[in-house]
Amino acid sequence: MTRAATPKLAAYAGLAALGLLAALAARLPELVVVAAPFALFTGLGLFLARSPRIAADVELGRERVLEGEAVDVSVMLDSEVGAERVEVLLELPRELVPLEDGNPRTIRLADRERRQLSYRLRCARWGAFAVGRLYLRTEDGFGFYRHESTVDGRRPLKVYPAEESVRTLLRPLETQVFSGNHVARQKGEGIEFADLRPFVPGDRVRHVNWRASARRGELWVNEHHAERNADVVIFLDSFAEARRGERSTLDPALRAAVTLTAQYLRQKDRVGFVTLGGMLNWLLPGTGTAQLYRIVDAMLDTQIVLSYAWRDIDAVPRRTLPPHALVLALTPLLDERAAIALLDLRARGFDVVVIEVSPLELVPSAHGEVGDLADRLWRLRRGAVRGRFERAGIPVAVWGDESTLAEALEEVSSYRRHARALRA
Amino acid sequence: MPEVVAGVGAAGCILVSLAVLLRQAPLLPLGFAGVGAAYAVHAALRTGGADSRAPFVAAAVFCAAELAFWSLAGSAGLALRRLALLVGSAVATAFVGSLLLTVAAESSGGVGLEAVGVAAAVALLVAVAWLAKPKPEL
Repeated sequence: MTRAATPKLAAYAGLAALGLLAALAARLPELVVVAAPFALFTGLGLFLARSPRIAADVELGRERVLEGEAVDVSVMLDSEVGAERVEVLLELPRELVPLEDGNPRTIRLADRERRQLSYRLRCARWGAFAVGRLYLRTEDGFGFYRHESTVDGRRPLKVYPAEESVRTLLRPLETQVFSGNHVARQKGEGIEFADLRPFVPGDRVRHVNWRASARRGELWVNEHHAERNADVVIFLDSFAEARRGERSTLDPALRAAVTLTAQYLRQKDRVGFVTLGGMLNWLLPGTGTAQLYRIVDAMLDTQIVLSYAWRDIDAVPRRTLPPHALVLALTPLLDERAAIALLDLRARGFDVVVIEVSPLELVPSAHGEVGDLADRLWRLRRGAVRGRFERAGIPVAVWGDESTLAEALEEVSSYRRHARALRA
Repeated sequence: MPEVVAGVGAAGCILVSLAVLLRQAPLLPLGFAGVGAAYAVHAALRTGGADSRAPFVAAAVFCAAELAFWSLAGSAGLALRRLALLVGSAVATAFVGSLLLTVAAESSGGVGLEAVGVAAAVALLVAVAWLAKPKPEL
């Protein structure tokens, strides 16, 4: 704890000394009377000065919350030696907004007193935060001495992105060998009818199709499509983002990533995660609630780091991208490196889908003839990138302010149905 | 002469106002010294005994100084308690001032007493300068 005298101490001592000397010089007892309170205050303040000893502890109501929810923070102050005025400032990132007024707060702490201060914070944006650094400033009753100290009682707080509303998910083209919720092309144990075949020893009696058997005069059994899971990799483009004020393209991309991760894991698929950009991050595919928390925790560390280094998909370990996985890419299509990486994945045989998080609403409007021309060129270039994707067989759905994630996914599904129909 | 008193007093008040508006603490003691100087000129020029209103002037100047430093501190917390303490201090100032005036009226002064007064004022300044040094670790 550092101690410093306030300007008030020097001012009062100076006024007292000046008043007393002037009274002596001019032989005016009135000046003694005017200077007396300043002298008395200074003398008492110096005599009664002492250093406060205050311990502080911070507790969070919850360690994990969703974006938009509120979290309670409790600060416990324990004074061995108190102070007349204690200012307590809880350091908060700008994403955590106090719901009530009062940061910093001023209280009085007597000796051996225990006081609790409660804060209610609204988590305005996702992220991983450390909340609990306190700045304490105390003043004695006379305002002559100021003591300052910092207490580091930080606790981790994870704010998860809110989920978007999605009705149906994209169905992966290929399934894997483990049991799941997708109807596979292969035949096996399941409930979806696939075919009929003659009975062979070893077949289960309950699979016998009695109607077909009666028609043919011999036993025929039903074959079903197996129900398998699939591998899904959420691909997040973190090379660049468009930002205007508090809005950016990264926030909806994160929310969509969390939503899709949770939904695919719920239907027993294996989900992996790759962030390709200035920061490279990946998680091997896995299942279950633990995988959901792993992926969401990894997403919280995502941030746009400007980098001119060439990064391609070779930087990602092979096991992160299992064969025949569905790669769902969330990208604003602002950086060519992400587009090239996705085309590379498609060329390697992955089933790639691109959800373009539209930056158009966040880009400042063009002014003048040159600005209009630049804007049109930029939009044409984006259209050309989409064309490259579509020629490579990658469906692209644009998700902006005027559409929802569910609509973007439905657009991809209808593109695939149309493509299948054309192939047929 | 009333113009001189008013002028010096007004200058002091303007300095105090500027100090509060511009949040410049070093200007405050200069402003109050100006106000004190105006009162000193008034007291020196008046005839008769000691000014019986001096305790109330002292209380008013002291309250003004406290409020000025309070506004510069920027913290509005514990306002009621601080106001109560301020009112109590003002009353105590007036009381102590009255006692001092009474003692001053009855004492005969002398060189020795004056020397003690000067020494006390100087000692006060030296003690404050020493105690006001910042101490990093406590």
